[in-house]
Amino acid sequence: MRLPAAERRRPGPGDGIIAALVIAAAVVLLLLLRPASGDVLTATVLLDGAQVGQYDLSGVEQSFLLPLEGTAYPVVIELQPGRVRVAESGCPSQDCVHTGWADSPGEQIICLPNRLVISLSGTDHPDFDAVTG
Amino acid sequence: MKRWISFLLAFSFLCLAGCGAPTVGDVGTSGQIFAMDTVMNLTLFGERAESALESARTEITRLEQLLSRTREESQISMLNAHAGDGVEISVESDLAGLLAFAKSVHQALPGCFDITIAPVMDAWGFTKDAYRVPGEEELAELLELVNSEDLLVDEQASTARLARSGMELDLGALAKGFAAGRVQAAIQAEGITCAMLDLGGNITALGSKEDGSPWRVAVKNPQDTGTYVGVLSLTDATASTSGGYERYFEEDGVRYHHIIDPKTGAPAQSGLLSVSVISPDPLLADALSTALFVAGEEEALDYWRQSEDFELVLCTQDNRVVVTQGLEESFRFDGEELGYTYEIARR
Repeated sequence: MRLPAAERRRPGPGDGIIAALVIAAAVVLLLLLRPASGDVLTATVLLDGAQVGQYDLSGVEQSFLLPLEGTAYPVVIELQPGRVRVAESGCPSQDCVHTGWADSPGEQIICLPNRLVISLSGTDHPDFDAVTG
Repeated sequence: MKRWISFLLAFSFLCLAGCGAPTVGDVGTSGQIFAMDTVMNLTLFGERAESALESARTEITRLEQLLSRTREESQISMLNAHAGDGVEISVESDLAGLLAFAKSVHQALPGCFDITIAPVMDAWGFTKDAYRVPGEEELAELLELVNSEDLLVDEQASTARLARSGMELDLGALAKGFAAGRVQAAIQAEGITCAMLDLGGNITALGSKEDGSPWRVAVKNPQDTGTYVGVLSLTDATASTSGGYERYFEEDGVRYHHIIDPKTGAPAQSGLLSVSVISPDPLLADALSTALFVAGEEEALDYWRQSEDFELVLCTQDNRVVVTQGLEESFRFDGEELGYTYEIARR
């Protein structure tokens, strides 16, 4: 027997529970899947403009040294939780070593003799487009 | 009920899709170039950005071949090689103009800027990264060769020569600014009106950002280059910075930086840690950042008061950030937590 249309469209208690579960699932997924603010930091290593490595510094749990291959002068970079530096370089100027630790999106470490650039990027975007100095 | 649930599902997933996705926007066309002893990052916007970037690369390559003194075939090397022999060297017209400009800065700020400083730079090892501390006698002898008045330039004939044997030119104090101006002209000729040109920390903001807001350029803290003393809002302007922290070496516990005072032949000790010059003219900004670093705060501000075409951000050794009046509205000071105090210099 078919029910009248008005009666068929009226939601019952079970429907309400299903709807609430759908909304709750959506909210939970929303919270789980959105990018975490400020806690993703990536170091991209470029040699002569070509990317040779990319490291998630927010995922680094302990300090480790990483010798780079293919450079004109030997270079060792050091990765620590949330930061990176050139620990050793055989280059004559040592400007890259003097730069010290880089730990914020937008920062760069440059070794000109090696044509090496380490760039930091992250979800926590800096509020500037470029840096003078 | 089915429609209601469908609506909720659709709404929920739309929310998820919208909030989880990365922001999509025009990030421009970017290129990285190693030239002039620095790294250049160019970001161009517009339909012809790709071809304009190629034009920029071509122009930078041309300029490097023209201006480098470590390339034997460059016109600067030719001038240096013929120092003192009386031969007039034919140079590109824009190089003749650049040399004349360098002389004008030398004359405007005597003792603070001299592109004939090359023999002294060599003695300190800054040219070939073979650092050493030269003796006083050696420096005194080399300083005899430093004087831009003995650089003779004929702009009409596009010729130049160095009057005395042993003299040498080094355009490191203005080459990047010159390049920024030429690159800007090259990309504008291709119709580009929106670009960010980063020539080793010399920043030229062409136009404003695509959303119409000014470009935002942070000024490095000279005492900790991972932090910033403030942020400039720039449209159609260059910010050029000179500081002793950029290139230096240490010997016996003493730090020697690369900005040489033409009066003493030694690294400038003017009480400034860095000088940022903001100007619509990239060449002027570059040259003045070096000259005013050597000059020191008082002379720099005096010179600014006589001029109309640039503004300054000075970081001093006694932890002050001094900003000239014209930047009052376009500079956000962030240096308080870094231990700086903030001052505005007025005319």
